[in-house]
Amino acid sequence: MMTALYRAGIRPRLRNQETLLLALMGVALLAGWASLASQQAGRMTIGDPAIPGIYVGILFAIHVAFVLTGRRMDQVLLPVTGMLGSLSLLLMARLPQGLAGLSVGSLELGLAPLQLLWLSLALAVLAVLAVAVRNDNWLREYKYTWAAVGIGLLLLVFVLSPDTSGPRLSLQIGPIAGQPSELLKVILVVFLAGYLAENRTLLARTSTRIGPISLPPVPYLLPMVAMWGVALAIVIIQRDLGAALLFFTVFLTLLYVATRRFAYVVLGMAMFLGGAAILYQLFPLVRVRVDVWLDPWSDPLDTGFQIIHALYAFGRGGILGTGLGAGLPAVGDTPGDLPAIHTDFVYAALGEELGMLGALAIVALYAVIAERGLRIAARAADDFRALLATGLTLVIVIQAALIIGGNLKLVPLTGITLPFISYGGSSLLANAIVIGLLLALSDRGVEPPPPPTHARRFHLPLRSPA
Amino acid sequence: MDAFTLTLWIVRITFVILLYLFFAALLRVLWRDLRSTVATSGRSLGRLVVVASPEGRPPAGSSIPLDAITSLGRDVNNSITVEDSFVSAEHAVLTFRGRAWYLEDRGSTNGTYVNGQRVGGVVPLGYGDEVQLGQVRLRLERAPA
Repeated sequence: MMTALYRAGIRPRLRNQETLLLALMGVALLAGWASLASQQAGRMTIGDPAIPGIYVGILFAIHVAFVLTGRRMDQVLLPVTGMLGSLSLLLMARLPQGLAGLSVGSLELGLAPLQLLWLSLALAVLAVLAVAVRNDNWLREYKYTWAAVGIGLLLLVFVLSPDTSGPRLSLQIGPIAGQPSELLKVILVVFLAGYLAENRTLLARTSTRIGPISLPPVPYLLPMVAMWGVALAIVIIQRDLGAALLFFTVFLTLLYVATRRFAYVVLGMAMFLGGAAILYQLFPLVRVRVDVWLDPWSDPLDTGFQIIHALYAFGRGGILGTGLGAGLPAVGDTPGDLPAIHTDFVYAALGEELGMLGALAIVALYAVIAERGLRIAARAADDFRALLATGLTLVIVIQAALIIGGNLKLVPLTGITLPFISYGGSSLLANAIVIGLLLALSDRGVEPPPPPTHARRFHLPLRSPA
Repeated sequence: MDAFTLTLWIVRITFVILLYLFFAALLRVLWRDLRSTVATSGRSLGRLVVVASPEGRPPAGSSIPLDAITSLGRDVNNSITVEDSFVSAEHAVLTFRGRAWYLEDRGSTNGTYVNGQRVGGVVPLGYGDEVQLGQVRLRLERAPA
């Protein structure tokens, strides 16, 4: 059989660690599924194995594809992503199925099947990117084009989406609705990696001094001011605090990674505080979010409702949790239920049912993604790839940190998704693109970086030195 | 406590235990990876890959690990001896200064070029940049982990 494969030009390479981790993940998902089904049925049952079966099947199919293509990619990212997706499926199966729905002909899809559909699509995107991306010129060379696409997306939302009082996030073109800010974060990282890789050495240099603060050449500061402006524009135009906070944090961290200049961080934080103070005065949305974060009990039935119930949920969970399906969050059916539990408050819901142990395990999974991503960055062949890998990792990890912190009342609550766990197609697809690119970057057999673009090859009249 | 509640409790705890078994397996992979990285990497700041070298010393395609101060030239006392008819005895020096690499021409006859542009004084150098001395072309790369 091996000779037949070789004759067909296929050079398989075993990925034993990935096999083991995926198998463990599959067993864990089945145990969780049985626990949930038994709780809901009131007798011991393993439940309907279709959803977990299809999901594990897809993951193993991707694993086989990776083995057959013989890539030397990271073996940890796929199982970790798979585990986060498993937790998502368990939660979506437990919540009332009416929270989201899609009917295709006579086929009615509830929350869990729909999430499975999105997860499958996302995993397919991840696998295709990981295998197909063999060089990065299409990202590296067209960074300004990508930046323009990003700004275009932002403007499109501004023009097309209806003016509501809440966050303006979704963009509807015909039957397809999506959240462009999810895609925007990937585009932003591509642009920043390209820009910083090109100007890293200039930005690290000191030429302007204002008192004790030394700055790089002033023109190179402009993109930073522009980024700050974009973050503010997102808040003002989209009223999307989460995305703005995420973009600005990723930008500042990446700038620090590229230049190792702490002055940027100080300056950025000062600009952030200034901007935040102004927005607090001007926009009621910002004021409500901050006031509720400081004291949710001042308005327990309206604005503080979500946070208070999230805190109660963590409290009820205790150390071991109430068990899957046994938590209180009465959602969708009763008045006074917790809004947005399947998108913004997934961490509180899982914290109640899996307890502190489960909640810590989720944080640990994101920590593993951070370790792998930064290791891929440290191993990268050149600046662009290193910064791209760092930025992609930061996008997922900072987003997770912001929403977990928001659920726990550590930071003001912002309406962003928990990567790979929250319900939602845009979020899943964007995060799958991130992991897919990270996998592609981690491949040790990938094409070497291209030579510098502005190289002019010319032959000089050389003189022999004395 | 009836049998059902007990069984359900066991299944519940099994799920949490499996979650942590998965995490333990992850940690084992990460730990092994870390160990092998520490074992194989010298504490190098970067390396020069020889892109072209008509006279064969250093040979084209080889890669040379760099110290924080690396001098280049035809003289044997340089960190990297470049045997090329058009390279001066003390041609150029590469230094790593805290944040980035810098290249300085040491008054060579034919000059030093970065990405095809002649260098005067000290210039910052990024990973991926190409340096030319005489007929020898070298590319600065990150040290492989």
